[in-house]
Amino acid sequence: MTANTADQTETGARVREVVGSLVPGGAREVESTDRLTDLGFDSLATLELALALETEFDLQEVPEGQAVEMATVADIEALVLAMAGAPAASGA
Amino acid sequence: MSTTRHQDAAIGLLDLEDGPASRTGDGRLPEPRALYNQWEKQQWSIARLEVSRDRPQWATLRPVARRELLTALNELEVGEVFVSRTLSALLEHAPSDADRLFLSTQVADEARHAQFFQDYLHEAAGLEETVSEAERQQEDSVYARIFAPTLRASLEQVTATAGDPDPWHTAVVEYHLVSEGILAATALHQTRRIARRFDLPALEEGLGNVIRDESRHLTYGLAATRRAVEGSLRARIAAVYLAGVEAAARISVNPYRRALTPVMRPALVQQRALLAAQWDLTRRRALRQLRFIGLSDLAGDTEQAWDRGLETALAEYAGLWGTAHPVTAL
Repeated sequence: MTANTADQTETGARVREVVGSLVPGGAREVESTDRLTDLGFDSLATLELALALETEFDLQEVPEGQAVEMATVADIEALVLAMAGAPAASGA
Repeated sequence: MSTTRHQDAAIGLLDLEDGPASRTGDGRLPEPRALYNQWEKQQWSIARLEVSRDRPQWATLRPVARRELLTALNELEVGEVFVSRTLSALLEHAPSDADRLFLSTQVADEARHAQFFQDYLHEAAGLEETVSEAERQQEDSVYARIFAPTLRASLEQVTATAGDPDPWHTAVVEYHLVSEGILAATALHQTRRIARRFDLPALEEGLGNVIRDESRHLTYGLAATRRAVEGSLRARIAAVYLAGVEAAARISVNPYRRALTPVMRPALVQQRALLAAQWDLTRRRALRQLRFIGLSDLAGDTEQAWDRGLETALAEYAGLWGTAHPVTAL
């Protein structure tokens, strides 16, 4: 495992940890394949999640042409990796 | 076709959350006495709500939810306090005894609402209110900044003219139709949805009671305004209503408060859609009332007034904060 891949893996795990901690109805473990709506995230909870991720990963820039989707936990992992400057891990 | 059925439908106007009203604005709104009778049947007390039962749940709220709820409750509390302090001018110069009796019940309602929000903020949300805190809330309130001065000036005219119909009906439009029918109705329903979402039963029940009271007040205002429109005040009422709608749009945007603007584009898109949907609900309330006051032909003007208010507020926001409002950020 290269250092870059290890960073991506660690970031993905931290993203899942943040998402899991904010699941409406109580913290739980989440998988990359989980859909936010299935986890109970409504608009307010999603906003809460986005702001928590900004703080956790110090996200500040909005990349041009960024995919407008945050449907699954994997989407969020890819988004955070992209915004943090690292390429998204394939199959995330 | 019973009168009672029409009256019940009108009394429930504020309960219509989405979609255009299915009722017809044909003038068969209830008389003040019928609304007084409803008031007698719909009594409630803050003590029986036990607002402190929500306190444990408040401790679990995350920052965004807490911020949204506190902002909404603060606005509602400021509005209720303002109304409870000033409504007496309308009562004192009411055109008939029946109007005076109904407005007396409204004064009592508004006092209870103000007390409910104050108790809730203190005993459930855990705010330690001080004199300076109360003043700060007043200063922070977008309603207090944008619309309260207009209403206060109208009330001074009511007093100065000792109940001349023109200023009296102007104030009714600003109180009942704009402050309650457009602004408070939207805020109350929206806050009740959040209360339900976060399992705050005392807040949900209390807001339900407030909504029921406000529904009576709105119905009274619609009926009184309809009479004025059918009389000699049509042009005056139209102008006041359009100015109120424009102000309501500015208040909905609230340029004085920095809106949450996530940097994650998908969340920003969602936030924009949410705010736009909330504003659209408010706009639709403004349009829906026209049918009940006999001003359906004012729909186009009302849309334009709303759009003007939005544009003004969004420009004001950008000027104040040095960045575009999330609704226009993408």
